[in-house]
Amino acid sequence: MSGWPTARLDPVRQLRVLAEVLPGVGLVERVLDAPYQRVWSFLADLERSAPAFDPMVRWLRILDREGERLTVAARAPLWPVPIRFEVELRDGWCLMRSRTYLVGMAAAPLSERTRYAHLEGLPWRGAPGLRALRPVFRRVAAADVDGITRTLASS
Amino acid sequence: MQELVRAAQEGDPLALAALLRALAPYVGRICGAIALDDGDDAMQETMIRVLGGIRSLREPAALHGWVRRIAVREAVRLARERRVQIPVERLPERADDGPDLRTEVGETLRQLSPEQRAILVLRDLEGFTEAEAAALLRVEVGTVKSRLHRARRAFRRRWQA
Repeated sequence: MSGWPTARLDPVRQLRVLAEVLPGVGLVERVLDAPYQRVWSFLADLERSAPAFDPMVRWLRILDREGERLTVAARAPLWPVPIRFEVELRDGWCLMRSRTYLVGMAAAPLSERTRYAHLEGLPWRGAPGLRALRPVFRRVAAADVDGITRTLASS
Repeated sequence: MQELVRAAQEGDPLALAALLRALAPYVGRICGAIALDDGDDAMQETMIRVLGGIRSLREPAALHGWVRRIAVREAVRLARERRVQIPVERLPERADDGPDLRTEVGETLRQLSPEQRAILVLRDLEGFTEAEAAALLRVEVGTVKSRLHRARRAFRRRWQA
């Protein structure tokens, strides 16, 4: 088999696939003006990064970690109790799913800059009317990417 | 794998992502060989169709056959849309000093049509019979035979050059 051309999907394209398949999510893709290593080392430090770029996260704590699988709890300002997320975290890829919310972050190097995709929304497929929420979650995702851009520029 | 398929069918995003990763080497091999430079795009379209339609897969054990059918058809469709085919007579000679196998195979595949590349993949990588390849590609067995003959002849010419 060696020698045959092989296609691949980098993490940004993988997140694009999920965004196409899940009706109630919004995806934003941008090129960040910072090297990949800097971007991902910041984002992968979830306890530090999430409260820094997302005003809807007061704090985030890692409760358990086993390889690429994490369990975290995050506190939102207007929600009375912490929200528990199952997380898949590896180089260039982070997918966080609670029972009611989904967050995805994916990055790939682009010379001295970084291609970045951010997904927010509802982790369900079957419920009716979910597609109508896509523009709302695109705005939420865009606000988070703005927050990431600001945080990287100021650190 | 069957457990993963069932979790993906229920719509769990973590299972959908895990299934995408599990299928990636297989789909990447099919799409890369057929769609060449457009292989990543063909793979993305294939994955959208596979994960988007996973609930329609009644028997998880049939996963690979189902995925293969989608991947081959998507790769042929996309490659046909963006067709760039170099006529045989314009194909560069094989380098004598230290041939790069990947480049050699890629350049030889580039002179074939997407349909010929699909038949090569099905026959030589996937081990399909000519009748099975014909059924998957929805063409006559005679068409498979002639396309395969031309594809193999292109490889022989290149390797004997």
